[in-house]
Amino acid sequence: MAKPAKKLVIVTEKILLKKIASIIEEAGATGYTVLETGGKGSRNVRSTGQPNVSDTQANIKFEVLTPDRDMAENIADQVAVKFFLDFAGMIYICDAEVLYGHSFCGPEGC
Amino acid sequence: MDFLSFFLMDFVKQLQSPTLGFLIGGMVIAALGSELVIPEAICQIIVFMLLARIGLSGGIAIRNSNLTEMILPAAFSVVVGILVVFIARYTLAKLPKVKTVDAIATGGLFGAVSGSTMAAALTLLDEQSIPYEAWAGALYPFMDIPALVTAIVVANIYLNKKKRKAAGASLSKQEYSSPAEEYTGTAGAALSPAGAPLPVGTSFNITGDSPTAGTSSGSAGDYPATRQEYRKQKSSEDNRVKIWPIVQESLQGPALSAMLLGVALGILTRPESVYESFYDPLFRGLLSILMLVMGMEAWSRIGELRKVAQWYVVYSIVAPFVHGLLAFGLGMIAHYTMGFSMGGVVVLAVIASSSSDISGPPTLRAGIPSANPSAYIGASTAIGTPVAIGLCIPFFIGLAQTIGSN
Repeated sequence: MAKPAKKLVIVTEKILLKKIASIIEEAGATGYTVLETGGKGSRNVRSTGQPNVSDTQANIKFEVLTPDRDMAENIADQVAVKFFLDFAGMIYICDAEVLYGHSFCGPEGC
Repeated sequence: MDFLSFFLMDFVKQLQSPTLGFLIGGMVIAALGSELVIPEAICQIIVFMLLARIGLSGGIAIRNSNLTEMILPAAFSVVVGILVVFIARYTLAKLPKVKTVDAIATGGLFGAVSGSTMAAALTLLDEQSIPYEAWAGALYPFMDIPALVTAIVVANIYLNKKKRKAAGASLSKQEYSSPAEEYTGTAGAALSPAGAPLPVGTSFNITGDSPTAGTSSGSAGDYPATRQEYRKQKSSEDNRVKIWPIVQESLQGPALSAMLLGVALGILTRPESVYESFYDPLFRGLLSILMLVMGMEAWSRIGELRKVAQWYVVYSIVAPFVHGLLAFGLGMIAHYTMGFSMGGVVVLAVIASSSSDISGPPTLRAGIPSANPSAYIGASTAIGTPVAIGLCIPFFIGLAQTIGSN
């Protein structure tokens, strides 16, 4: 059985990694995945191919599976209110069905 | 006349030296659209190697010297680091079209120290066999940390004052909209002239459009209310600027931790063999690669800088000289009172004229998030650093030779 869940995706600046991770944990999510990303947004082109002396320009993408929409919105709101006036960022939510994932589904499996 | 000839000679020498040569080379190939990429990981290891080398030589020197000599130059470094921020606060911030927060952040970045500029200066002093205290490199953190801390504290005091004024003048609704306007006015306009209000709109639409009415507590009208609660929480947090986390953050930054580790190892252990066989011989080669990257970086930032006020260009050309001369003057006091060498005075002046490119920007981005990074990183990397390396280093060496020869 697949367990229905929400996938919350946050694309933002790498400098916020630790702060957003702690928001996600405090919201009660069991875990998250972080990817290094690049791309083009309304603020600038962010690519990993540019010569870079510091990490400030790198982007990351969080993927969080939450059991319900409330938790996802809670995380999204906190992140948006705290950071998105001053930092580049984008949040979207998708429907997901978890097939395997012990920690997410529970000891009996999905 | 003497000074001019010294300066010109040093300048020509500097042009031919690998340091500036690679810097200009990097700018040229970036301007020609070269696809050359130096991987980020290599830049990080280079920064580590350079600063560890400077730290090691400093640590070894500290072990063999008495620390009392360091007190006055270190105190002067702190003074310069703090003064630089206030200079920016009361000059750059007053200029038209310059936002005060951006100006303070720029001041902080120019007050902070660039490891690569310092490494270039030390290399040139070695080449010209001008003696300097080997521990002079260890002055780095004494200027770097005070500058960043001062900038973040001053900026937050300013922002809180403004916020309180706004709160007193109008209702919370206006308070909510004013930062957004400010944001689109600067960063939005600077980064995306086509769709300035887009970032705020998109990010808030995503969360704001979500149909909460059916799911949980209450209506959609709940949403702005919770946002304002968050905002209030945020502002109450911001009212008190904690200094220790800023110091901690800069100490934990890659540049300073590499250097302080080097200093500690130099003092506590006997790293001479690894220093002589590994760190020292690689120093110049790695510096040349870093300079190439800095040149490419500088060129890629010029475009960003063009979008903010032109005053940043003026500031970032003039400021390195002003800051350097200030430090040079204080260094001369140490020279006459404590016997601080002329080479050491040059090092002090150069670290004052340099602006941070490695550890400073992330610290400021986190500490003053509302400042526009295009303004301060653009000013520092695109103009400040090339001016400091290309003009200020030969200028201060020439000045020191002129004074020293009299």
